Amino acid sequence: MNKKMHFIFIVIIFTISIVFTAGCAKEEAVKKQSDTNTLYLYNWTYYTPESVIEKFEEEFNAKVVLDYFGSNEDMFAKLKAGGSGYDIVFPSQDYVSIMMTLDMLTPIDLEKIPNSRYISDLALSKATYDPLMNYSVPYFMGAAGIAVNTKKVTDYPRDWSIFSQTKLKNRMSMLDDMREVMGDALAHLGYSVNTTDEKELKEAQQLINGEWKPNLTKFDAEGFAKSFSSGEFYVVQGYAEAIFEEIEEDRWDDVDFFLPEEGGPMYLDSMVIPKGAKHIELAHQFIDFIHRPEIYAEFLDRFRFPSSVHTEAMNYTTKEPFYVESDLANYELKNDLGENLAAYDEIWQTVRYTD
Amino acid sequence: MMNNRKREIRLGTTYSFPMGIWLFIFFLVPLLIIILYSFMKKGLYGGVEWEFSLAAYRQMFNPNFMRVLVRTIVVSVAATFFTMLLALPCGYAMARSRNQTLLLALIIIPFWTNSLIRIYAWIAILSSEGFLNETLKFFHIISESLPLIYNQGAVVTVLIYMYIPFAILPIFTTIDKFDFQLLEAARDVGANKTRAIISVLLPNIRSGIITSFIFTFIPIFGAYTVPLLVGGKDSYMIGNIIVDQVTKTRNWPLASAFSLILTLLSTLGVMWMMVSSAKERSQSGKKNPSFRQGGNL
Repeated sequence: MNKKMHFIFIVIIFTISIVFTAGCAKEEAVKKQSDTNTLYLYNWTYYTPESVIEKFEEEFNAKVVLDYFGSNEDMFAKLKAGGSGYDIVFPSQDYVSIMMTLDMLTPIDLEKIPNSRYISDLALSKATYDPLMNYSVPYFMGAAGIAVNTKKVTDYPRDWSIFSQTKLKNRMSMLDDMREVMGDALAHLGYSVNTTDEKELKEAQQLINGEWKPNLTKFDAEGFAKSFSSGEFYVVQGYAEAIFEEIEEDRWDDVDFFLPEEGGPMYLDSMVIPKGAKHIELAHQFIDFIHRPEIYAEFLDRFRFPSSVHTEAMNYTTKEPFYVESDLANYELKNDLGENLAAYDEIWQTVRYTD
Repeated sequence: MMNNRKREIRLGTTYSFPMGIWLFIFFLVPLLIIILYSFMKKGLYGGVEWEFSLAAYRQMFNPNFMRVLVRTIVVSVAATFFTMLLALPCGYAMARSRNQTLLLALIIIPFWTNSLIRIYAWIAILSSEGFLNETLKFFHIISESLPLIYNQGAVVTVLIYMYIPFAILPIFTTIDKFDFQLLEAARDVGANKTRAIISVLLPNIRSGIITSFIFTFIPIFGAYTVPLLVGGKDSYMIGNIIVDQVTKTRNWPLASAFSLILTLLSTLGVMWMMVSSAKERSQSGKKNPSFRQGGNL
């Protein structure tokens, strides 16, 4: 019997040690390279084209280490908790302005980034928090839309009211993202996605809880693309690049992805250099490199994005984007809500926590 | 004699010193930080402001959170109950089996796979176009897919799967050292099979049952990934609230207050476990080291 105890014990120790050494090995690998010409990027998943990274590594004789986040909040929490060591981070507009306010960013020297001249006036006019690119250089501007499996659904409205369709009950999902879902509801009602008006918020709450939620299977920001691809969900609210990444190209014809014309929330992700970055020179070179028209076109082609922040790259792209720049006309950037976040949170609680 | 005793105490202190440091740094200090944070004002962008406040505890008593708390309790109790129900016969069968090492290995091997992968495997099994529904359709048992996933049933099922090894192992170790002649003795004095198990076996493996109850109930109560991934729109549990409050709503004091409740609950559970196994030891009057180990595994 003692033998058995030993066996259990050894197995447990063995398991634990595997887990720990795996973690340590990774950290050590990161440390080893830190002294050399290495650039540490912290970007969204589905957002970094490998071919571009490889070209950069070759041209600048550098090594690029990539780390990914799934939401601004995760990224922010990690940086705030002291997770430094990154040279370039890719936050969205609201978090760029928060990070500027909190003095978490290194100023950007635009003279080292001549390609910043290609950034569109539209993008800069939306970036009201940093229109002169003192701390942030736009990377991409886009929005979440709706994907419909046209094999299963044929007759549907091409706007947010698709989530009110009771015949699609339990076959639809929306993002587990307060600003996205509430923004869609507000836009559908004709209000600003940044409203702080109590009455308008109340109406949005009624729309979500009364008409949309009963038809949804879940609020899902992690697995919706997989579930859509497998045929579990017929209609999902989500990001084009995430959805099409999960579907083989020969099935793309069965997918109708669109941004409702009535508008909704939009994001503008930018490249920033956090305070404490160790490879500032290389970071500038990378930002400049990304915005070379032919390189930026490669990025757009990889994810089938429209050229929403770049004035030149569309002349170099070879593939049709999933949606076009003009689709974004009625879309509005999500601002940092500051103190008013609490009002949104209170409503979101009734969406997510109660039956 | 006296000197020896003193020496033993001194040695004991020395030996427990590294463990003490470890506990201090990795358990006590974080716990103190959590307690401290829960009594502070929330920072606008996460973190806390160094100002005393009871806001977090006031916010906790909000009907939305209470609803989640009730749901968490219901799901945890149900999942723990079924886990124990399955673990008892499993532990018994293992203890009586000749292939104990093999069975043990079979229970432990799934642990070598990352839990997220195992949850995604369940999604593949349970989803509308998943293995289970497709198989049932293939044999014409059903014509329409059953809603097996994204509801409370799926959450409970996957939780049972995730935590059943933690329930089986302690039960197995206590049954394994149970003297089965006692059961025969009970039969000799006229008890039937069920009666013998209820009045002789179960009281003797009490500490194992309590341990496995605590080892399943506490982690299930704090579950996060399972309700998030296989749950539906109304499957949020306390663990999900804590994560949301830290990351999305940036209300660290509230997250700390909820964590504190979870920690207090587990502390109470562990204390109950210690008291009951101490009681059992003093009742049986023997000090069997491997027995103690079994109780604490």
